[in-house]
Amino acid sequence: MNRVIVTLVGRDHTGIIATVCNYFAENEINILDITQTTVQEYINMMMIVDLEKCTKQFSEIVSGLDAVGKKVGCVIKAQHEEIFDMMHRI
Amino acid sequence: MVELNEVFETHTMIFDENLDVRTITMGISLLDCCDSDLDVLCDNIYKKIVTAAKDLVKVGDEIGLDFGIPIINKRISVTPISIVGASACRTSGDFSRIAETLEKAASFVGVNFIGGYSALVQKGMTAADQMLIRSIPAALSKTERVCSSVSLASTKTGIDMDAVKLMGTVIKETAEATKYKDSIGCAKLVVFCNPSDDNPFMAGAFHGVTETDSVINVGVSGPGVVKRAISKVKGENFEVLCETIKKTAFKVTRVGQLVAKEASERLNVPFGIVDLSLAPTPAVGDSIADIIQEMGVEYVGAPGTTAALAILNDQVKKGGVMASSYVGGLSGAFIPVSEDRSMAYAAGIGALTLEKLEAMTCVCSVGLDMIPIPGDTSAETISGIIADEMAIGMINQKTTAVRVIPVIGKKAGETAEFGGLLGSSPIMPVSRYGCKDFIDRGGRIPAPIHSFKN
Repeated sequence: MNRVIVTLVGRDHTGIIATVCNYFAENEINILDITQTTVQEYINMMMIVDLEKCTKQFSEIVSGLDAVGKKVGCVIKAQHEEIFDMMHRI
Repeated sequence: MVELNEVFETHTMIFDENLDVRTITMGISLLDCCDSDLDVLCDNIYKKIVTAAKDLVKVGDEIGLDFGIPIINKRISVTPISIVGASACRTSGDFSRIAETLEKAASFVGVNFIGGYSALVQKGMTAADQMLIRSIPAALSKTERVCSSVSLASTKTGIDMDAVKLMGTVIKETAEATKYKDSIGCAKLVVFCNPSDDNPFMAGAFHGVTETDSVINVGVSGPGVVKRAISKVKGENFEVLCETIKKTAFKVTRVGQLVAKEASERLNVPFGIVDLSLAPTPAVGDSIADIIQEMGVEYVGAPGTTAALAILNDQVKKGGVMASSYVGGLSGAFIPVSEDRSMAYAAGIGALTLEKLEAMTCVCSVGLDMIPIPGDTSAETISGIIADEMAIGMINQKTTAVRVIPVIGKKAGETAEFGGLLGSSPIMPVSRYGCKDFIDRGGRIPAPIHSFKN
């Protein structure tokens, strides 16, 4: 398991999650969990994904998601899960 | 399972409040490089550094990308060069050659600073120590990345006043040698009382002789995160204030611990310590002065400032110490004037004076830091400022330091520009009354009574 947290913030419209999920499917990235809230017209989304089978370098995935983010008008970031566990769990 | 709000809290800290890992510093022992032939010594030093640190920058960048946390600096600290060069160097010029070797090695591996052009003379100077100290002006003016530190005092040994006197002159000479850029050489030169062997921060980092062959030390930062947290408890009592700082410091330090462990594993170098220090930068929102002002002091330097800084320093330690398995270095709050935009502003409007800064150094983690003073300040007066600061450290059993920059050709009120992370600041006035006869006495100030704990 190579767990990565992907977050997405931006103005909501149809097809955002579909586009992101397509990118994951193309790169053999398995989605483990999705949490999402929409406040007024803005979407905040977090996905926990597994990069175990992904053959690309993590840096390529980060820049790939950046490009997907630009396409759907959102900011997408990917970080390994440990930083959140370390900060928020004793 | 990580919660959505926790993820976005981390994002706010990193992307809006300037949370970063300020430095991954690799400490490298050069003791096994010693040789009586200077050419062989320099060759050994170069090979040792470029071999040990060849992947430091690459790995630092990879970790930054994996965890989405900026790692600002990758640096190296080495064994104090006065020890390493003692058997090979016959003149100050010989020591300068080692400085040039350090510069070449640092440049090759891509680090922005290399610390350890240092001497530990808190009880007395050997001939090699004196030669190294006298070579500092030339060494720092010929190099860009080399940082120098000299330990002049400790609680255990007292204060070496001969070395204090000499350093007043050396600081002036370094200022003169780099006057083309507002005497920037002095920004790479610091004197210490009770220095730390594992400090990852420049200009005072060196790899202590009690350390292992190589080690990874990490310095975290995040004044903006602390300031934002405090702004949410405006008007609340001190208990709430202290708890807020403590919890924030815990989170900040956890990032440092994660990065340090990762760097240690990926580089196959032992993990040394995490330094908990809150280090400001000239960027907006990355200021220690802003934290003090957020606590309710109008401008840093106003009455209440020392108490506010004491709270900050202590709570940062209390929160941070549980977040890391090994804490060390300087660990507290830094108060470098030119590197902190709001600190420099307070100096400019007269709210913050050199004397108030001296009082603040009694409760902060280091000392008088990055303070531009008039270029015509005498060497004896600089030695007097150093002696005062060393006395505070010696008596209070804490690290203190002095990094003042006599800006040649400029007077109090004019602005010194150092650029980058070193920032800029109005030049602060220094007392016009002298201390020449005091400094000229020479010799040593004995260790204080409470140092005898055996």
